[in-house]
Amino acid sequence: MEIIKELQYIVGSKLVTTEPSELYCYSSDASQILGMPEYVVRPENTEQVSRILKLTNKHGIAVTPRGAGTGLAGGAVALSGGVVLDLSGMNRILEVDIDNLQVAVEPGVVHAKLNEALKPHGFFFPPDPGSSDMCTLGGLIANRGSGMRSVKYGTIKNYVLDLEVVMANGTVINTGSRTLKSSAGYDLTALMVGSEGTLGVITKALMKIHPLPKSRIVLLASFEDAEMAGRAVVKVIAGGIVPSACEILDRMTIEVLNAYDLKTPLPDAETILLFEVDGTESGVQEEAEMVKSICRSFVSSIRIAADEKEIDEIWTARRLVGAAISRLDPQMTRVYVGEDIGVPIKEIPNMLKRLSSISEKSGLKIMTYGHIGDGNLHTGMCIDVFDEEQWKRLNQAADEIHRTALMLGGTVSAEHGIGSARGEYMRLERGLALGVIAAVKHALDPKGILNPGKLGI
Amino acid sequence: MLESDIRSIFKCVRCGACRSVCPVFEEIGWESSGARGRMLVALGVSQGLDVSSSVFESLNTCTTCGLCRQICPAGADPTGVVENLRHQLVLKGKMTDSQFNLHKKITSSSNSLGEVLDRKMWLGERINEVGKTADYVYFVGCLGAYRYPEIAALTFDLLKQFDVTLLPYEVCCGSPLIRTGFDADDLIAHNIEQIRIVGAHTVITGCAGCYNTLKNDYPKMFDVMHVSEFLSEHLSDLKLKRLELTVTYHDGCHLGRCNGVLEAPREVIKAICNLKEMKTNGENARCCGGGGGVRSGYPALSLLLAKKRLAEVPEGIDYIVTSCPLCLKNLTEGGSDTDVIDLVELVAFAMEQ
Repeated sequence: MEIIKELQYIVGSKLVTTEPSELYCYSSDASQILGMPEYVVRPENTEQVSRILKLTNKHGIAVTPRGAGTGLAGGAVALSGGVVLDLSGMNRILEVDIDNLQVAVEPGVVHAKLNEALKPHGFFFPPDPGSSDMCTLGGLIANRGSGMRSVKYGTIKNYVLDLEVVMANGTVINTGSRTLKSSAGYDLTALMVGSEGTLGVITKALMKIHPLPKSRIVLLASFEDAEMAGRAVVKVIAGGIVPSACEILDRMTIEVLNAYDLKTPLPDAETILLFEVDGTESGVQEEAEMVKSICRSFVSSIRIAADEKEIDEIWTARRLVGAAISRLDPQMTRVYVGEDIGVPIKEIPNMLKRLSSISEKSGLKIMTYGHIGDGNLHTGMCIDVFDEEQWKRLNQAADEIHRTALMLGGTVSAEHGIGSARGEYMRLERGLALGVIAAVKHALDPKGILNPGKLGI
Repeated sequence: MLESDIRSIFKCVRCGACRSVCPVFEEIGWESSGARGRMLVALGVSQGLDVSSSVFESLNTCTTCGLCRQICPAGADPTGVVENLRHQLVLKGKMTDSQFNLHKKITSSSNSLGEVLDRKMWLGERINEVGKTADYVYFVGCLGAYRYPEIAALTFDLLKQFDVTLLPYEVCCGSPLIRTGFDADDLIAHNIEQIRIVGAHTVITGCAGCYNTLKNDYPKMFDVMHVSEFLSEHLSDLKLKRLELTVTYHDGCHLGRCNGVLEAPREVIKAICNLKEMKTNGENARCCGGGGGVRSGYPALSLLLAKKRLAEVPEGIDYIVTSCPLCLKNLTEGGSDTDVIDLVELVAFAMEQ
């Protein structure tokens, strides 16, 4: 039987397509990586995924799993044709188990929808990506994503207890258990988290949830330069405070946010740090005072956000600032390259200094913002996408940003993933470990059908 | 494709924020049925992608509700790109049967419903009360004239006390043609001439589609007001009595989000009774599914969208009030448990006898 017929037999004719215009829509994510699939299939359950993988494995057809296609590194782009497996329709929250502090979800559940469902129970799911409104949990897990709260709450790897995974040959396994800890052999859950669909297809996830904090305070601290801000962060964390968010915004980011119609504009400053502390009412008061007092010798001014409304407004705008940079100039478009470096926190001031010299050298403005509390800096560059020469400078600057982060003992991707956009740096970052990664991949997917061309292997 | 459209497509960074709000994408689920997908389809067409039935389905299922444009962090305008691409394709003679038939119907009958009867039948005896000239003229619209004659009559009864008249020979404003990619120059020229004959400086309409078209697709030769705006300015003259009712208000996309008429209908409602907002409202209100040619081209989809909108109606209300006959029709046919009424009907309830 033809492949298309077999796929139609598995999922029904309405959930598989080879229509060129539809394939075109699935040929990219939010990165610059492009790749045209031959089929897009939208399975509705694990059994269908298993049958699809049995079929594709038999015929050696590539399979690229995809959530909402919001990735920034080409992880969900089919580089070798084959099947794009759109899992966004598997979007049920299967179980909210408050007594066990757990939730079971299908991979297509949108991050924000999970938090909407947990809120009435007084709980939340702490990893907090900027793309919360659109990204899927499957994608978040497969990219080992996180967000603004990871400085206190950790990344998604700290929350996944068990994954149902369809392996390359169609076998369905569970990687973990319902228990909060287990010593039963290799930690396959950890192996799958961040594997970017190269080892198996996640069809279900059991994850820990957290009670909503009773109270929170956001402090806005203004600095004369980014280095001062970097030093303040190191001091605050060394002072024993674990903020629930610690974000840096440079001048350009502040301009973009203020252009976003904030009711209370951000202060006019070179750099702003947003500290959030959460917990009990008395605890957050005390911690906010401590942050204030530690920052005093670095800041030009510091204030507390007036109320929950202002806090929500700040965080909503902050989440979308990455794309909003395009609003500054109608001719310019944000291009996501070199946007997700992480460095050890004591190297933050150094990295910031080097970013400013890369910006000067390339002649491109580099907007810097990000989760400075955990060393994760997002750099935003905008170009006229019709100008070849600007593309060249952009890619050179991105390369330099990646290499600088590695030189400082950092990573080329703290939370967005490697995909194929950053594959070339894997050898540099992981060294001989890349051989082990390739060996694991080969053992679990000997025909190499699962998301080929990713992770630099 | 126009260079400005290509630039607009490249404004999109494909972040996918629109996936979370596009009501059509929520129903269909394929990437091509959401704003980001439509931008990609448009880009594909500009690069030579074959204009297949799937391309039309992607472009023509957009209700042009503008919510994607409203929330786009990058400032892209998928709604504008869709409308412009529909137009470019029509110019090349590329369209669906549904578009072709709509065009034929409107050009042959001068109304969007293909009606052959007199457009002023709803007037009845009132025909003698229509002034020849006036500063303000009530533009009835096709749905008002043919589907909701009682609402047209109520509206005219309200407005005529303020010396508002009618056009001698009104024709369709052109909205359904323009939204589906056609030019409406003849209809526009006809209506402009009629407005000139009446000598009006302001055109008042009770329809979101007519409002949007008169305001943005006609030459800037006259002011345009929605009935709700006119009524809110004359509240004290209306002698409204307070009613023991609680209603909710559905914002027509082309009136509220696209043209900012958000407060006037609410002011009128609050002068009469209690208002309880829908889950999404104002500039973020969800589309009823009626606009952009979806009602005529994809009726089943249109009704699914209406049902989703109805699911946002709050508990404990007496009426769903709207200010657009197309929304009223779609929400009613979508199976509303609660009566859907036009704002002028609510005003009529509250008029002192």
